[in-house]
Amino acid sequence: MSASPQLNLDLWFRVQAFLVREARLKDDHQLTEWLALFSDDLRYWMPVITNRIGRDLGKEISAFGEVAHFDDDKTSLTNRVKRLQTGMAWAETPPSRTRHLLGNVEIMAVEPDGVLQVRSNYLMYRSHLEYDHELFSGYRMDHLRPHGDAWLICRRDIILDQSVVTQKNLGIFF
Amino acid sequence: MKSHFEHVLDMKWGDLDRSIFSDPQTFELELERIFARCWLLLGHESMLPKPNDFFTTYMGRDPVIVTRKADGTIGCFLNMCRHRGNRVCRADAGNARAFSCPFHGWTFGNDGRLSNVPGYKEIYLEKLDLEAHGLVPVARIDSYKGLLFATFDANAPSLLEFLGDMAWYLDMMLDRREGGIEFLPGTHKWLVHTNWKFPVDNFIGDSYHGPVSHKSAWVSGFEGMPRRKSGYGYEGFQVNPGGGHGFGVRWAENRDQVFEMALPEFLDYEKERLEESISRLGDLRGLHFSPMHASIFPNVSLLWQGGAIRVWHPKGPKLTEAWGWCFVDKAAPEAYKREKALHMLQRHGTSGTWEADDVDNWVQCHSASEGYVARRYPQNLEMGLGDEIDDPHAIHPDIRGRLGKFQSEINQRAFYQRWAEMMDDPSVPAVPDMSRRDACKVSS
Repeated sequence: MSASPQLNLDLWFRVQAFLVREARLKDDHQLTEWLALFSDDLRYWMPVITNRIGRDLGKEISAFGEVAHFDDDKTSLTNRVKRLQTGMAWAETPPSRTRHLLGNVEIMAVEPDGVLQVRSNYLMYRSHLEYDHELFSGYRMDHLRPHGDAWLICRRDIILDQSVVTQKNLGIFF
Repeated sequence: MKSHFEHVLDMKWGDLDRSIFSDPQTFELELERIFARCWLLLGHESMLPKPNDFFTTYMGRDPVIVTRKADGTIGCFLNMCRHRGNRVCRADAGNARAFSCPFHGWTFGNDGRLSNVPGYKEIYLEKLDLEAHGLVPVARIDSYKGLLFATFDANAPSLLEFLGDMAWYLDMMLDRREGGIEFLPGTHKWLVHTNWKFPVDNFIGDSYHGPVSHKSAWVSGFEGMPRRKSGYGYEGFQVNPGGGHGFGVRWAENRDQVFEMALPEFLDYEKERLEESISRLGDLRGLHFSPMHASIFPNVSLLWQGGAIRVWHPKGPKLTEAWGWCFVDKAAPEAYKREKALHMLQRHGTSGTWEADDVDNWVQCHSASEGYVARRYPQNLEMGLGDEIDDPHAIHPDIRGRLGKFQSEINQRAFYQRWAEMMDDPSVPAVPDMSRRDACKVSS
């Protein structure tokens, strides 16, 4: 292993492949398989962004615990998937077509217990029904806990670049 | 414009003219006759805890800054430099004594006064009337138990008159515990391609849609409130206090039924607060009424037990910007506030498992209004027409206003009637005449 995890090509490649597969499962609506990639102690969080200036610039991202776009644990994330699978979740019937693109994958740190902190940028295009469509952009900070020969995602912090969500809902996953 | 809106709602059949949702001229007239005249919700006083705190929002399509001035009072001004019209504040919130226009540097105190103009001596030769070029203030600003409202109409009735008996019923939200409520930090903002009246209509009286629209959420772990069992006496009511406001309640005969309706995660708190609520509000508002959904005329909605409050900012006939907050009793324990925030955001707002299904309904109902042929067919609002409760006082002597059955469109009809009255009546000046300089001086 090279000195720095950020420069470990093999590790980087495996992380990248793991996240690309995770994205594909969402795009292919294989949400039960997708859920299996998350640990039971999951935190899945998307804060709210506000426009700030001057010394308040640091408050651009809402703090954890405040009202957020997503603030889920494994149970509520699983329930969101269950809802979509009832066939009666009208806002996703028929389901949105999404394309999750991932880039700028960086392993930012390796914690003592082997958990990787991985930052990545995303672009996600969503098309729904006839005309509804949107490009979502932002970045994620994932915590990947070693599990077998891959990982479980135990924490996902998602930054959505928009302060006003220009879509009718965030009924899809990031 | 010629008065004609009284005909959009046919009270014999409950037919509503669909064109009011899509007609651009109607929208423009709404900005004048509804949004420039009514008291509009700005937010809650808890959003401005310290002197010089501010946040920005909209009144109708007009951007405004709401400030806690140095003397502790609250001001509200058009977010518009009096020189070219640039926004003087581009932040959503913060703390500032003054707002400096990024265009030419005109600087306004957070009391609205124009305090500095670059080149005032050399360029303007001290002729510019500083006092006449302050930020344009709203005509009046007032709070009802922490909820902040403002109006651009100097001739508007007082806020209490505007809310009427709705204020008395809003005490079920604002005054059921010592200390009232607060908005938890964090605002949901999102765009919905629908007319602003669709969501108001939905929240004011549509208890009919829940079992269909929200079934998927209810059966998947996102249960709502109140849970119901049989044998509860009255099913509930749609209450119409007048003024275009309205809300729906479930009915509880006794304390046990209040607790039975609570979700398990909130049961302890319901037990903690109920006696205080009954002693503050009496048995009608404190015990029997379990309020569910409401709209405050013209563009505020709330879900009582969901802890969600909304402003529907009109952006165009077909575009609405939804702003949502979570409200809680200030005296509630921190753990309850956290639980309430999660309850709210997992059901309502941007990623809400309930609200997503509502939004598509509104979007598509709106689309129907755009078809030339579809527009000729009215919306049906006949539910409960001619079937109001004859004597509400026989149900409880304290009841104010009209009462429909729990499944009734009484509140929607009253909303559109109030809307039509205001649209048809231009006799009250909507806004002060801004061409007169003395009308827009900042009063001290």
